[in-house]
Amino acid sequence: MLVLEGVPLFYLELAIGQKMRLGSIGAWTAISPYLGGLGLASVVTSLYLCLYYNIINAWSFWYLFHSFQSVLPWAACPLNANRTGPSEECERATPTQYFFYRETLNISPSIEENGGIHTGQALCFLLAWVITYLFIVRGVKSTGKVVYFTATFPYVVLFIYLIRGFTLHGAINGIKYMFTPKMEELANPTTWINAATQIFFSLGLGFGSLIAFASYNQYHNNFERQAIIVSLINSGTSIFSSVVTFAIYGFKATVNYENCLERTRILLLNTFSLSEDSITIDNVFERIVELNTTHPEQFAELNGKLEDCNLESELSTAVEGTGLAFIVYSEAIKNMPLSQLWSVLYFIMLLMLGMGSMLGNITAIITPLRDFKVLSCISTEVFNGIVCFICLLLGLGFTTTSGNYWFTMFNDYGATFSLLFIVLIEVITVSYIYGIKRFERDIEDMLGHRPNWYWKIMWAGVSPLLLIGLFLFYIINYIQGGTPTYQAWNKDLGKSEQIEYPLFGQAFIGLLLASSVSCVPLTALYVFCQRRKHAQRHMQQHTVNTVAA
Amino acid sequence: MLERIFIFLFLPSVLAAQLCKPDAPEGFKVRLSIKTALQDEAYEWDGNERFLFQATLAFAMSRHTRQEFNVSNILVCDETPRVSFWFVVTSPDDPSQLINRGKVEAAVRMSRNRINSAFLLSDETLEFVGILPTLAAPVEPASPPWLIVFGVVMGLVGAGIVFLLVSTVLQKRRKKNQEGDEGDDDEEARVKTAENGCRSDGIYNTSFSEDEPNTQM
Repeated sequence: MLVLEGVPLFYLELAIGQKMRLGSIGAWTAISPYLGGLGLASVVTSLYLCLYYNIINAWSFWYLFHSFQSVLPWAACPLNANRTGPSEECERATPTQYFFYRETLNISPSIEENGGIHTGQALCFLLAWVITYLFIVRGVKSTGKVVYFTATFPYVVLFIYLIRGFTLHGAINGIKYMFTPKMEELANPTTWINAATQIFFSLGLGFGSLIAFASYNQYHNNFERQAIIVSLINSGTSIFSSVVTFAIYGFKATVNYENCLERTRILLLNTFSLSEDSITIDNVFERIVELNTTHPEQFAELNGKLEDCNLESELSTAVEGTGLAFIVYSEAIKNMPLSQLWSVLYFIMLLMLGMGSMLGNITAIITPLRDFKVLSCISTEVFNGIVCFICLLLGLGFTTTSGNYWFTMFNDYGATFSLLFIVLIEVITVSYIYGIKRFERDIEDMLGHRPNWYWKIMWAGVSPLLLIGLFLFYIINYIQGGTPTYQAWNKDLGKSEQIEYPLFGQAFIGLLLASSVSCVPLTALYVFCQRRKHAQRHMQQHTVNTVAA
Repeated sequence: MLERIFIFLFLPSVLAAQLCKPDAPEGFKVRLSIKTALQDEAYEWDGNERFLFQATLAFAMSRHTRQEFNVSNILVCDETPRVSFWFVVTSPDDPSQLINRGKVEAAVRMSRNRINSAFLLSDETLEFVGILPTLAAPVEPASPPWLIVFGVVMGLVGAGIVFLLVSTVLQKRRKKNQEGDEGDDDEEARVKTAENGCRSDGIYNTSFSEDEPNTQM
């Protein structure tokens, strides 16, 4: 995916930005006036991303601030009213899940039920936006300096975590799991769609942020080398961080597995009243078989309570996205010695990464807007402040009790489809409408040499075909999947369950998908009408002039 | 006569056997996990340890009910290798009468940590099945610690923003004063940024525009 899609498209976007020296709307309008909508679609997608992405930073802040306690709050359950035991919801779920769903989000049972705003969340959200404003207040000049730190510090933390991860008990299980390929998953096309969208998200293709940043480059900047280096570093970092993640993951799975074995052992000891050293953790399974044969009736009573302890299933409880970062990782961290230190380090790293992404998203919105003459008269600081403030107000909706469900909706549907569409149109535009020859000449003008045959084949042939294939798969999957569902947290059962979106939810999904995609045809139509009106007026004027003369 | 002596001798143990049995209505099951708690320093469960248990429980009952309980009022039976057993408490006034379950529970609850420390165990390793331990109240500081850290960070960030804004305003004022002396020549041809504002568009040359107010010849 990286080689076939990532690097060629990255190169393409950088070239366009550097050549046109305008934000995404201006750049595409310059290529062809009918395609200004493409830039607009990018801006709309980036706007959605800006709205919902900062809530992740808010959560990171919340966890970071709560790490400064002698006992991490997600390490143990809070007590119930009588102080006889842990609270019921926490008992049925795990303490980390309880902390995330109840104390961090105070989540409601479904998307329809809405409570008030969670004040702690709102405060952290405000802080996230204030820091974002601080980084962009002077424009790209200040952003450039900030990124030196936000981009390098995560590597330091990842390295520290790598060493810590490998010295943890059971980390090897995770690494082995990561490197054993699962053939059934690879054959599933959904995996490849996810890989493609991940490459787009990871490299920032289709958002307009690359075009925006490249427009600030010098004209003769060697972006070809930069494109290759950045893409390779990006993927290298992904692999590096997944090694670390899986090491920590293996540790967590092993700890859970051993706890499960311990609980089973105690259960057996208590039921059969055997002496304590007759069953150890290592021979639990043999003893189960033994006891089943020697005392079948007593064993039958156990049936409901005996857990199935399986290391494979612990490793396969695949959680992804926000769940992985906040629930799974905090569970792993609480088991490490000196957990406060590791927690602080980890959440600072998450914050650096999140803030870095936010900078790209905000710049992708601000740069095209500044290209409009009407808005460029306002000073940078005030304009950036206004944009941040509007996004803050709109994003407060994500801090309500049902906010997490809206967040998931935006996360799943706000960007994937539009990204595929935008990138597909980009490649086709540059290859066929603008013309590969003209593009080659532009690159030669900027770099001094023409792009070699590999790039041309990718842009003109392979990438568009692959993208069309992915696009069709995605649509077919969506239609076949039936009503879209989401994971709602059931506090009585203590776990998430799948619920269908209500009607207004589905309508909103449709709106999200349609709003960014429809920018392209609508703008083309608008420009077409404008031109026709303009041409008519011009002809009328000519006839008036000839008559007068 | 001899039979009577025999009956007298065996009566207490027979009575005890009848009063104390597994699933006795007024009895409790106790489970000790000595090896789990103490590992290498674990002690063996024998008659002395049982005696200690009876003594501590008599102490707990005396403390709660303010009646004098004796070691013989605590009856222990059904010991297993797990180290679990049942016990019942008889009234000091009438050894055939059992003390109410609720009273025993209250007494155990009151002196739980004394009983635990007598055996060097904790609430989890010395279990009274059916009596839930009263967990320690969590330490709650006056103001939540996270707010303190939040306040510090917010203050720093706010100060940073104010500093940047003020320095920008001062810079602009200084530039305006300088421009009044030198003239307009900050072109920045090298790096074109979108921050130059309205003036970066240059002067619009009307001679090439299409919409002319003048008529053509």
